Amino acid sequence: MSAAQSATPLRARSRLAAIREAAPHPTRWRHIVGYMLAVYRREWQGSVFSGFIEPIVVLAGLGIGLGVLVGDKAAEITGGVSYVAYIAPALMVSSAMNLATSEAAWPILARVAWVRIYHAIIATPLNAADVMVGAIAFIVGKVAFAAAFFAGVLLITGITTSPEGALGMLAVSILTAFAFGAPMAAFSVTQKSDQGFAFLFRLIITPLTFFSGTYFPIENLPFAAQVLSWCTPLAHGVALSRALALGTPLTNLGIHVAALLLWGIVGTIAAIYLFRKRMLK
Amino acid sequence: MGMTNSAPEPAALIRARGLTKVFGERTAVASIDFEVRDGEFFGFLGPNGAGKTTTMRMIAGVSPRTSGTLEIFGQDPDLHGSEIRGRIGVVHQQETLDMELSVRENLLVFGRFFGMDRAAIATRADELLELFQLSDRAKDQVEPLSGGMKRRLSIARSLIASPRILMLDEPTTGLDPQARHLLWDALQRLKRGGTTIVLTTHYMDEAEQLCDRLVVMDQAKIVAEGSPRQLIAEHASREVLELRFPNGTESIDVKVLEGIGDRYERLAERVIIGCENGEAAHARALEHGLDPESWLVRRSSLEDVFLRLTGRTLDE
Ligand SMILES: Nc1ncnc2c1ncn2[C@@H]1O[C@H](COP(=O)(O)OP(=O)(O)OP(=O)(O)O)[C@@H](O)[C@H]1O
Ligand SMILES: [Mg+2]
Repeated sequence: MSAAQSATPLRARSRLAAIREAAPHPTRWRHIVGYMLAVYRREWQGSVFSGFIEPIVVLAGLGIGLGVLVGDKAAEITGGVSYVAYIAPALMVSSAMNLATSEAAWPILARVAWVRIYHAIIATPLNAADVMVGAIAFIVGKVAFAAAFFAGVLLITGITTSPEGALGMLAVSILTAFAFGAPMAAFSVTQKSDQGFAFLFRLIITPLTFFSGTYFPIENLPFAAQVLSWCTPLAHGVALSRALALGTPLTNLGIHVAALLLWGIVGTIAAIYLFRKRMLK
Repeated sequence: MGMTNSAPEPAALIRARGLTKVFGERTAVASIDFEVRDGEFFGFLGPNGAGKTTTMRMIAGVSPRTSGTLEIFGQDPDLHGSEIRGRIGVVHQQETLDMELSVRENLLVFGRFFGMDRAAIATRADELLELFQLSDRAKDQVEPLSGGMKRRLSIARSLIASPRILMLDEPTTGLDPQARHLLWDALQRLKRGGTTIVLTTHYMDEAEQLCDRLVVMDQAKIVAEGSPRQLIAEHASREVLELRFPNGTESIDVKVLEGIGDRYERLAERVIIGCENGEAAHARALEHGLDPESWLVRRSSLEDVFLRLTGRTLDE
């Protein structure tokens, strides 16, 4: 009798302990951010171009070049604003995507498969979930930094005129980084080499910029492509960012934000699950 | 009766009963029992694939066991892994250092994972760099360090939070003899300082030199347990005569071999004979008409224990 009575709470207690063992700790993940910052301090020069300069160069090139090509038709597409002003908020979001996905690719794969430091880290009080949460948080933070720089350039050059709009765009870039960084991390922790990345970037990430309303409205696409486009995070980020920058009405705000958050949260859970599966054999 | 609510002081820091790990079809660890006591230098000696790394991983709480019980500091690593890992240092079989950070930064970053504050980490890091003779490389990148230095850095890193137990998975594999001896000295110093050390190795001289107690593992099982001296006394004779036959040993008559010493093992090019007196056994071998290319007499070692228990040598 007494055995039956005491067995249940004991089992419940150990189930709770097992869950706590697997779940991310509320604060320990910040040490992963600290670790990545230490790495970043040593090699920031390498990512300044891809993260900070490249988006500006692309904006200048496309804004001016395509702007001239589009010429008088620009107003038709953009609803009155200059072509540069039209694509700038979208480019900001697609650079957030590019930076988040590449940061969640090689740097994570290397630590799982090549230098294997993640094996050492999960042998400390941190667990696999802390490592993934910290890695994703660092990526989002890094993108936030680059996006803030980009937004600053837009304000200074007068391409974007509203500071509130610029802040809003920054928030959208952060959400977009989360929406792409987390699922990308989930993919990376399953990989043994970087061959999968080439495939993913060429077939999905890079083309996505063209089909998400960056350079022309999504409505110009065939219906099937439009549906597909709304299934990815980028279209939502672009729609939000542009509306905020141009001050046009924010339609479907809730849906766009929810879509980005959903991608990020599901991606984080997947990353934790797959990373545990890989590491805790 | 006999049951109390307060947890009894664990008699051993690590205690395993029926510890088992199965990967799909393969049993990597098959119901092993062992105990590691406070302050002890404990070894897992065994050949490739014996299950040493798997056992270490289960202890560190990064590999859930299939069955059996396992307690570290009296706690189950599947339920209290984080807490347990906070008090043990782990050195992996393969290098897991960060190549982009400097030697010292590798230590600093790790201290944070254990929740230490920065000042304490800095002091401890410099102490460890000194102890492992890495102070003059503190600012250097890790990549160009020699294998022995990298290994010393890995050990230093595992000690950053002054763990109660240090676990080392084949720490000297791939090191040259000088680097090995340097490492042995460092480990012995640590042990004298009170750290409990658990080590795996497939070098019997290493186990013999370092371990107070060890278990011999083979094919997922523990085949013997004791101090090196006990194991040798129990499972090997006093001396060993080795006879070398480069052309093979198949043709040698069993009866002849049985007549030379207490026991024998026939390997591909060697016959190993356990006996009280090696010189006398050699004389008997010649009387029986054996004509080895060379021979030697030595004291029995753990290698002979392993050979006796499994019929194989450790590096086979
Ligand atoms: N993740 C895994 N999946 C499947 N089998 C595994 C896994 N890890 C280990 N094994 C198997 O379990 C057995 C024991 O492996 P383990 O790595 O524990 O041996 P070991 O004693 O450490 O050997 P070595 O001296 O080579 O390091 C081996 O047969 C190995 O192939
Ligand atoms: Mg091993």
